[in-house]
Amino acid sequence: MGGRPFRSVCGSLLFFTFAFSIVSAHKSFAIPAFSRMYGTSCSTCHIDFPKLNDFGKAFKDAGFKFPKDDESMIKIPPVMLGAPANAELWPKAIWPGTIPGIPPIGLRYNNYFQYTSSNRNQYNKLLPQGTVGPYIPATDFETGFFSIFSAGNFGSDIAFWVDDDISVSGANGNGGLGEAYLKFVNIGRLIKLPPHALNLRIGQVELEIPFTQSKSIWISPYDIYSQANIGAVNPVFNQQFVNNVFTVASSSKGVELSGGLHTGGYNYSIAFIDQNTSGTPQATNNNYVPTATGSNFGGVGIASDANFKDIYTSFNYRFNLEHDKESRNAIQAAGPTGPRDHTYLNFGSYWLYGRSVQRLSGALLDGTAAVFTAREPFYRVGGNMTFNYHCCLQFNALYMYGHDYNLLPVDSTGTLVSVSGAPPAGFVRGSPATFSGGFVDAEWLAYPWMYVMVRYDGVNSNSDYHNALVPGGFAGSPFNGAASVTRNRITPAVQFLIHANIKAIAEYQFRPSQSVTLATNPFTGLPVATNSFHTNTLVLGFEFVY
Amino acid sequence: MNRSFLLTVLVVTALSISAIAGSIEGKVSPGKSVVYVDTIQGKTFPAPSQQPVMDQKGLVFSPHVMVVQVGTTVEFLNSDTVQHNVFWPSISGNKKLTHNLGTWPKGEKKSFKFDNPGVVSLLCNVHPEMAGYIIVSPTPYFAETDASGNYKIENVPDGKYNVVAWHEGMKTQSKSVDVAGIGKADFTLSK
Repeated sequence: MGGRPFRSVCGSLLFFTFAFSIVSAHKSFAIPAFSRMYGTSCSTCHIDFPKLNDFGKAFKDAGFKFPKDDESMIKIPPVMLGAPANAELWPKAIWPGTIPGIPPIGLRYNNYFQYTSSNRNQYNKLLPQGTVGPYIPATDFETGFFSIFSAGNFGSDIAFWVDDDISVSGANGNGGLGEAYLKFVNIGRLIKLPPHALNLRIGQVELEIPFTQSKSIWISPYDIYSQANIGAVNPVFNQQFVNNVFTVASSSKGVELSGGLHTGGYNYSIAFIDQNTSGTPQATNNNYVPTATGSNFGGVGIASDANFKDIYTSFNYRFNLEHDKESRNAIQAAGPTGPRDHTYLNFGSYWLYGRSVQRLSGALLDGTAAVFTAREPFYRVGGNMTFNYHCCLQFNALYMYGHDYNLLPVDSTGTLVSVSGAPPAGFVRGSPATFSGGFVDAEWLAYPWMYVMVRYDGVNSNSDYHNALVPGGFAGSPFNGAASVTRNRITPAVQFLIHANIKAIAEYQFRPSQSVTLATNPFTGLPVATNSFHTNTLVLGFEFVY
Repeated sequence: MNRSFLLTVLVVTALSISAIAGSIEGKVSPGKSVVYVDTIQGKTFPAPSQQPVMDQKGLVFSPHVMVVQVGTTVEFLNSDTVQHNVFWPSISGNKKLTHNLGTWPKGEKKSFKFDNPGVVSLLCNVHPEMAGYIIVSPTPYFAETDASGNYKIENVPDGKYNVVAWHEGMKTQSKSVDVAGIGKADFTLSK
């Protein structure tokens, strides 16, 4: 495992990581409850939690249970909810079912330290003279997520999952429900379909995106996954009037049909999810509309902002590359010194279609007040590829193209107006708001306890460009946002598994094009950035699950 | 004449050997340990023909501890529907004796002949929580204690021996024992 100098470097890195504790993390999960239930280590299912190995993928495909002989593996027997004989007596009416012998609960906590590069406050130069802008410190300690999650199987191939952030950044109640669903595994058997051909998942889910965001080993989210399409109206320049906060990695409410296996061959997903492109909970609706949980009004019901349900589809095919047929078709490949992940090549594609909705108060040509609704269909489409070599080396790539129909508000004379200007009298079709980009990454398990990774993210968005023309940048991200068309990021990272359930993380996010050139918008007289504004960040962290 | 004399000598010798064969007994604290007679200088013993089975079932090695005589061939069985592996990083700390048996599916076995005495820590590189032990005794004189730690090694010829006690996670201890019919040795092992 290396000589003295190597150990000393690793030791220093560990100490450095330990000395500074941890920001900006996203969710990631491993399931200690399964460890307890099966009396087995995290590494049975995970390479570096929460990244699944082939067996972990098969475990998940099977509905959070061992693909075969699950009963003989469980060390804490489940509680029967009905005698098996009942199933024979009423084969179509009663499934005995089980609940786990202990509540299958896992907890997770992470803690971060961030260093932000020297030009972190450059953006304040865009603010009018004398304006107090937000201050970004060079270094900052942050608590991350404290999350609870529970998952398992109720027997009869009914799996469940719930995760919730009890606190985020140390603020209780600041988190939220991540995923919560029931999955009816292999329901295709009821209509005599081949095994694994059809599953049904209902609840709040992360879409079957090619590379999971919520269970990624990367601290920082994939940039393209968090790309919303929000364009401001500016009647002087190229106008955009899109306000689509949808991002593919967000949790979605709906139903999903899926099938196939993630350990070889095909897998697919077709999901129908609520549309809420405005991104705001429509709690005020509850005052008028009875909901499932309310009486005459109120309740927790309605959040969609349109009748339309977004449609998401994905299809992947994985070629396991072992020569030996038996090994190739097994869950794990048979290596000379033990089972291991397959060497494989995976190709996939995905597509989402929705209709973004914006409603504006305006006036008809005769001056009568009216509400104008812009329905702007949008789609996201892309492809993905993975090459995996045994346990230890993986290359991933993803491309996404986003396209939003762009309706621009006009007044009664047909002149383009800004939202804050004259009341609109209608819409005209503008140039679509588009973005594209993706990422490539390499993940190398140098040692069973050390992951070395590097990733390139690129996002090319014309709405980003337009938004940067106004002070404040695009919504919610004034400091790391780009003022140019393209945002790039190169992120080297290393992770140390201190235990199977504890890891130390170091991630450096290098964003090229650091310069900020200020100019004055000749039309508005406001300062603008004509070059990219980017900051580099170093994030160190600890994460543990138990 | 010569033949009958030889036969007589053999019978008498055999009877006298069985007459002087004794036992070693005692108690090991904590219980569930293995006790064996260490190498006897100048003596070798034929390898047993019996092939005990070390099973992998329900993600555990079964039995957890097995004691065999040096030269024994042990069969390793996978009774699980998941793939397992068996390897040991060393035998009694000797890393040169590391061995990896590889992968095999449910219901199949792989065999290995243990020619070196010592403690073999069995591991599975897929399921790191799995651990088992094979104690390879250099002599056929060995025993496993009961839960209370009591043991009895039978058929030990009279003489002076070095007796070794092993318990999982404890330091191995050895004691010199004189066997004249019965030899006694109690052990208190510590971490």
